[in-house]
Amino acid sequence: MRGAPSSPRDRLYRAAIGVFLVLVSIVVLVPILNLAALSLSAPERVPEVTGLTVLPKGFSLINYRVLAANPLFVRSILNSVFVTVVGTAINLLVSSMAAFALTRPSLPGKRLFMVLVIVVMVLEPGLVPEYLVVKRIGLMNSLWAVILYKAVNVYYLIILMRFFEEVPQSLVEAAVVDGAGYGTVLRRIMLPLATPALATLGLFYGVYHWNEYFRASIYVSDPEKYPLQLILRQFVVLDDTTTLIGSGAMLSYDEAARMSYAALKASTIVVAMLPVLIVYPLILKYYTKGVMEGGVKE
Amino acid sequence: MSGAMSLGARIRRDRMLYLLLAPALAYFAVFHLVPIAGMVMAFQDYRIVGPSRFVGLKHFKLLFSSPSFAEVLRNTLVISSMKIILFFPLPIAFALMVNELRSRALRKFVQATAYLPHFLSWVVIAGVWIAFLSPSSGGMNKLRGLVGLAPLDYMTDKSSIRWVLFASETWRSLGWDSIIYLAALMRISPSLYESADLDGASALQKTWYITLPELRATMVTVFILNLGFFLNAGFDQVFNMMNDSVISVVDILDTYVYRIGLLNMQYSFSTAASLFKGAIGLILILGTHLASKRASGKGLW
Repeated sequence: MRGAPSSPRDRLYRAAIGVFLVLVSIVVLVPILNLAALSLSAPERVPEVTGLTVLPKGFSLINYRVLAANPLFVRSILNSVFVTVVGTAINLLVSSMAAFALTRPSLPGKRLFMVLVIVVMVLEPGLVPEYLVVKRIGLMNSLWAVILYKAVNVYYLIILMRFFEEVPQSLVEAAVVDGAGYGTVLRRIMLPLATPALATLGLFYGVYHWNEYFRASIYVSDPEKYPLQLILRQFVVLDDTTTLIGSGAMLSYDEAARMSYAALKASTIVVAMLPVLIVYPLILKYYTKGVMEGGVKE
Repeated sequence: MSGAMSLGARIRRDRMLYLLLAPALAYFAVFHLVPIAGMVMAFQDYRIVGPSRFVGLKHFKLLFSSPSFAEVLRNTLVISSMKIILFFPLPIAFALMVNELRSRALRKFVQATAYLPHFLSWVVIAGVWIAFLSPSSGGMNKLRGLVGLAPLDYMTDKSSIRWVLFASETWRSLGWDSIIYLAALMRISPSLYESADLDGASALQKTWYITLPELRATMVTVFILNLGFFLNAGFDQVFNMMNDSVISVVDILDTYVYRIGLLNMQYSFSTAASLFKGAIGLILILGTHLASKRASGKGLW
């Protein structure tokens, strides 16, 4: 389809499509760039920033300094990092161990376990029963509830199983004959071979944990333990300025008079999406490549 | 080789595997099976202390006769239909257009920007949209001003808010949902286009007579997979974009279950609503699985 000479009409048609798609990209980017611009503008020039401005007016880091000086905000970033790092490590560990065990052809009870996996996939527990379980096992007001309620994503488990199934069984058997236990086989053979899959799933789990706010909002009551997304929700979505700003006198009177809440909110949003923007090139590299080469499984 | 061993011997031989499986099994048991069993409280009057009393269908009768439940169900169906049916052709059109781009750099740029919002949390997206739609300072009302229209507060306007949900869903998913079609487009044999070129077909004709028919199987699969989740009208989105002015037109089953259950602490009543949703969802998913198996040979599992 490439080498064929295109008629002037086709060229016009393609040019129109190109223009339209660039417009789509602009629609995606402008609202985001606008907030970044607002957050970086000099406070006295904030009134000049309209909803369509994409470059900062003047330049100032005052909003970010204010956030960095806020103990609750800084704390919430640490909480989010904790949930993301520990959560993703647990996800990868538990799912790769399970995927390995479930792909051993000789495992007695394999069918039963697979039925269990499907049950987990199709039956969604109600919110209240889950809440009561978390309460009963003593995880209320703990970030562990936020981490553990999604220790395994069954869809990702199945992706990992597909990956392990492709490793030639002879490799595993040869190692077992040499006296290696299953633990060694998993560590020395399977995990190194599955590194691309683990990296992709790790990115997805990581983004999931970083973006998590809802479980934290129902299980965690102490604002000191809030993850960043929950602070963001309080501040930007619910317009609760007291939880964040009221905690710790971090503004001098002068500074407070110059500040714009809209700009401070914009900065909070920017900080909340920053880690995702940082890993985004990796996501594009691993995931979209995988999709283009193989089947799509979400 | 394992046939000769007794089951007990095989289990003993594979004890390491069970050990590896144990954490996942424990997780499934605690966070899935126990709460699923706990849904029996929909048939009880749940009590925090002491035994709960069996009350049969009391909560379901209450639920089905409650006017707010009818409203919630209607909202769920309307919002879901917008997101599944109305949205459906958009990623297809997007993929077709991206496929026409001849410049690799432009193609990469368009794809990279269009996939991005999928990875942002709904809290961030709500923040971005609330700012963009702000009646005083938002970009949308700036645009309205340019064509001489008065500002409109979209987030609190009952006749706009569902379209805000639709538009923000499109903003978030248009690119990402097009990936599956782009992947399918890459599998179409170039020889089909080459012979069309020999016949002097235009780009539009090639799209209509070659590309679209080749995408049909993918379209069917995507559509029926989406139907399986029809009652999930998008909890996180609605939860973050809803406010008191518009709650009557955007309150969906999941936000209702949350409010009644965790805010009003009507545990049993809320779980009855969960169970209703779960039962319909199960039927839809099983139906989807079977339909997808018939249409493409590929089920959900």
